[in-house]
Amino acid sequence: MTARPILKTLGHRLFQALLVGLAVGTLTFLLARLLPGDMAFRVAAGRYGYDNVTGSAADAVRLELGLDQPALMALGAWLWDLAQFDLGRSLISGEPVIAAIRHQLGHSADLAGSAILLSLLIGPPLGILAGLRPGGVLDRALLPFAAGLRALPQFVLGVLLIVLFAVGLGLLPAAGYGTMEHRLLPAITLALGLAAVSSRVARDATLAVTASPYYAFARTKGLPEGSAFLRHGLRNIGVPVTAYLGVQLVYLIEGVVVVESLFAWPGIGHALVHAIFARDVPMIQGTALVMALGFVLLNALVDLACFGIDPRRRKA
Amino acid sequence: MSPVSIPLKGRRMIPAPTAWARANRSRLLGAALLLGLAALGWLVPLLSDADPARQDLGRILMPPSAGEPLGTDHLGRSMLARLAAAIRLSLGFAAVGVVSAAVPGVLLGVLAGWRGGWLDRAAGVLSDAFLALPGLLLVLLLAALAPGSAWALYVGISLVLWVEYFRVVRATVRVAAASPQIEASRLLGFGPLYIFRRHLWPEIAPVVLTLASFGAASAILAVAALGFVSVGLRPPAAELGLMMTELLPYHEEAPWILFQPIAVVFLLVLSLNLLSGSRPR
Amino acid sequence: MMRKVFARGSGWLGATVLGAVLLVQPAAAQSDNPARVLNVVAPWEVASLDPAQHGHAFLRLEVAQTLLEVDGAGRPLPSLAASWTVSDDRLSWRFVPREGVVFHDGTPLTAEAVAASLRHARAKAGVLKEAPIRSIKAEGGAVLLKLTEPFAPIGAVLAHSSAIILAPASYREDGTVTAVIGTGPYRVERLEPPQKLVTTRSDRYWGPAPAVEAVSYLAAGRGETRALMAESGDADLVFTLDPASLRRMRSSRAVQVQSIPLPRTVAIKVNAGHPFLKDEPARRALSLAIDRAGIAAALLRAPEAAAGQLFPPSLPDWHHPGLAPLVQDRAKAEALLADLGWSRGEDGILRRDGVPFRLSLRTFPDRPELPLLAAALQDQLRAVGIALDVAIGNSSEIPAGHRDGTLELGLMARGFALIPDPLGTLVQDYGVQDYGVRDGRQGGDWGAMNWNEPRMAEALAELLRNPDQARGAELRRTVAALLQDELPVIPVAWYQQTAAVSRQLRNVSLDPFERSYRISAMGWAE
Repeated sequence: MTARPILKTLGHRLFQALLVGLAVGTLTFLLARLLPGDMAFRVAAGRYGYDNVTGSAADAVRLELGLDQPALMALGAWLWDLAQFDLGRSLISGEPVIAAIRHQLGHSADLAGSAILLSLLIGPPLGILAGLRPGGVLDRALLPFAAGLRALPQFVLGVLLIVLFAVGLGLLPAAGYGTMEHRLLPAITLALGLAAVSSRVARDATLAVTASPYYAFARTKGLPEGSAFLRHGLRNIGVPVTAYLGVQLVYLIEGVVVVESLFAWPGIGHALVHAIFARDVPMIQGTALVMALGFVLLNALVDLACFGIDPRRRKA
Repeated sequence: MSPVSIPLKGRRMIPAPTAWARANRSRLLGAALLLGLAALGWLVPLLSDADPARQDLGRILMPPSAGEPLGTDHLGRSMLARLAAAIRLSLGFAAVGVVSAAVPGVLLGVLAGWRGGWLDRAAGVLSDAFLALPGLLLVLLLAALAPGSAWALYVGISLVLWVEYFRVVRATVRVAAASPQIEASRLLGFGPLYIFRRHLWPEIAPVVLTLASFGAASAILAVAALGFVSVGLRPPAAELGLMMTELLPYHEEAPWILFQPIAVVFLLVLSLNLLSGSRPR
Repeated sequence: MMRKVFARGSGWLGATVLGAVLLVQPAAAQSDNPARVLNVVAPWEVASLDPAQHGHAFLRLEVAQTLLEVDGAGRPLPSLAASWTVSDDRLSWRFVPREGVVFHDGTPLTAEAVAASLRHARAKAGVLKEAPIRSIKAEGGAVLLKLTEPFAPIGAVLAHSSAIILAPASYREDGTVTAVIGTGPYRVERLEPPQKLVTTRSDRYWGPAPAVEAVSYLAAGRGETRALMAESGDADLVFTLDPASLRRMRSSRAVQVQSIPLPRTVAIKVNAGHPFLKDEPARRALSLAIDRAGIAAALLRAPEAAAGQLFPPSLPDWHHPGLAPLVQDRAKAEALLADLGWSRGEDGILRRDGVPFRLSLRTFPDRPELPLLAAALQDQLRAVGIALDVAIGNSSEIPAGHRDGTLELGLMARGFALIPDPLGTLVQDYGVQDYGVRDGRQGGDWGAMNWNEPRMAEALAELLRNPDQARGAELRRTVAALLQDELPVIPVAWYQQTAAVSRQLRNVSLDPFERSYRISAMGWAE
């Protein structure tokens, strides 16, 4: 009885994943083919660099990749390969797309996961504390602080953090990747923006919960504030905070591109920007597909988490 | 419809009258800030003849002076003129982006929420697909389609933003359409237009306005971020993100110059956030 | 009390982010080697192992080597080839491989291995393919290279990074490189495309063992990132600093800045067939409108970078000190344009027969100063009444526009030592080539366009036939003078290579040909 809505939700997400897979693959293919500029020249520039891109290099690329073929044939071939779980090879490096994505998605997910974790450690606790004492010092301080963080573009925030922690204090590496310390600055850059939002959501939810009749009743029946909050407060705050995570993923994906570029972090956003510049169609398709499916997957996880926190949803 | 529902502002509990007063005060502040910035954007070209593109390589990164109240940038261009041009661009951008996302989003949302049926399902599938499509990808591809042009960015950003209007409006309308008042109006024989004006619009208007001011803030930040990965507008366009990116390497040499576009973006986004109520997203 | 709340709260928080956590990988463990790692940061990515694409990285990091090296003036020196001979008709070249050299996998360097490596390189796009080579084979313990016509810069072609010599085990049957097994003082420890390459000292190297034991190379595309990494001490050696950071770096205590002129020039490629630009005075007027001194001092932060002619002084064989440098003279530019029938319209833009003087300038952001220079040029040309639409796109749009004839102006950064002998590049850019894919038209993708000057073609063709010293010098002066008089491309600025060097490194020097980071010669300060 309780499993049914969950299955329904998961089924819905699965359907969405299929739909999105097809849409993303086809749309990116069409757009990439529609882009202005000679594709052979673009690929040659991506491969050999600006010093060595010449007409003859472009001719060689055109011949090698069979770019004179009709576009529909190429799309058909891509879909056929996809049906066999093959994303093809990069036009630039010649490596399998899946290998490049595995490397880069791993680093992106690493960064994004660290950022979410950090933001949850910073945002909701502060928000709850502020919400428990509305109008208090913390509450008043939090609003401009959160709005300020949200209003700073990430690259400005990132540079500020590098100048402060890497150049000024020498505590953390400025950029690069490979160790735990390398991860901190880019993750904090992303996390602060996320925490700005989740702290506000948690604060409003706390305010709503503590003003609710059931909470007042719990207090009236003699529960001390601590247990009342634990039994009746946290769950009700958890739902909107978790639901907002799903919405925040969009912000996260966009932030990742900027942060990866600034911190020389190998990632999928970086890969996507490069692939578009170099007209590496299989790479664009593969990256977009994986990003979209990852987004659906994460949203499904958020759904499940909401079910876990809020028993009412299971009966819906 | 996805169970990740966005908490609706209209149904939020307002605990005490003081909160209302505070919310209104912050809105007032937001509106005043926004008006001030807009005035800066549109009055500067009227009051001075400084050209935002005119360079003077002999006078680069000058501190503020009587002739150049905000100093000059790395090409010796007037910062005052450039900031004014950038504010006009950003506000125009935000307005066009928001309108072109809100109009289709709200229309489709009202239709889907009210009528239901196949229209609702089709629109739901469409919005789900768009939601899962990395917005960034769309914007990047469109920007590559017409490098350096503004319309590609408008379209890309609107395509990303409309889904939010659609989802929220649909949910609101669905709740409202089932209400006894609308039932009564319908039984009394009032037309759809009347019902929309009388019952639906008052329900969705505050939500849409909230979304609009957040959307405007997001659009401004998105264009700035795109400028950073050199996908956005091209120099010599005076765009806030581009100005920040270009001036970033001078952070030690001329911090007062770099500070200006950052402060303007900050104030723009802050004013829009304040205007929309207390919850930034 | 609140702490307790959060202790339990973190339970559901944890569950919420479970998905994210599962995706988080443990930090990649750094190697336990206690050897001090030299951290190099540069803008160039290493996306693949293909020498045609990223041979430069393996050459610069001294993993792989070429048959020949070059001296400071670009003349060939022995490297993997211990010696060589040329036939009298200059069509057959014999290279004798150095004795006792082994690849990193232990296999010996043989003539067969060298010939196979070069044949693989020639099968891909690149300078070897463009050179007039008939065949490459191993014969009697030497490598025999046959040409279809005399080609003086062949030594420089063999020193190009796409012609690095790799062990036979590096290649798959179809010629794809699956591992970079070279002969240099360092071997590849780990490659994480596109950004990281880690090397360690090879104990099989044929020369003296280097002092630096391990090197980690990171590609960081943003100049600002590189500058901050140098300042914070994360990188010991940072290449290509943006001019904006230079001043800050020079006053930094942690690093010192080294710079060296590069044989590379920022120039405007001109479509000399365009109705506005076909007359030499029109191109002259464009050149006179440009404030090179201002650009060099204010934007590049290097006053000596103002290009008075196409060839920088760092190319002593080609730089012609007798030429009057190109300077700014707005009045003269306006006079020249007026003579050509242009007059100012109400908007300040020149018009002739009602047609405004409006041109598009294509450039690309791979070299971050190009868009900046384009913005400066736009304003300077507007001052004489020429409207410029700046289109910043992909670098390939310049050669593509050359081919389909749509290019009007292109702002480029052209290196003259892509192969260490500038003649090879100049023949491509300004000569007539009857072999290969070009159809006998003069000019090239990154050089002159629709500009026909038989004297130039003849001078370059004669230089290819290896004339004697005095005649060669005379021909080179002719080439420099023709470029200065006719302006098929308009020089703007000469390049500097700048590097931020940690004060703990000793014996750092920069290579004007950008062939090597010269790490094997460096050492740590005590």
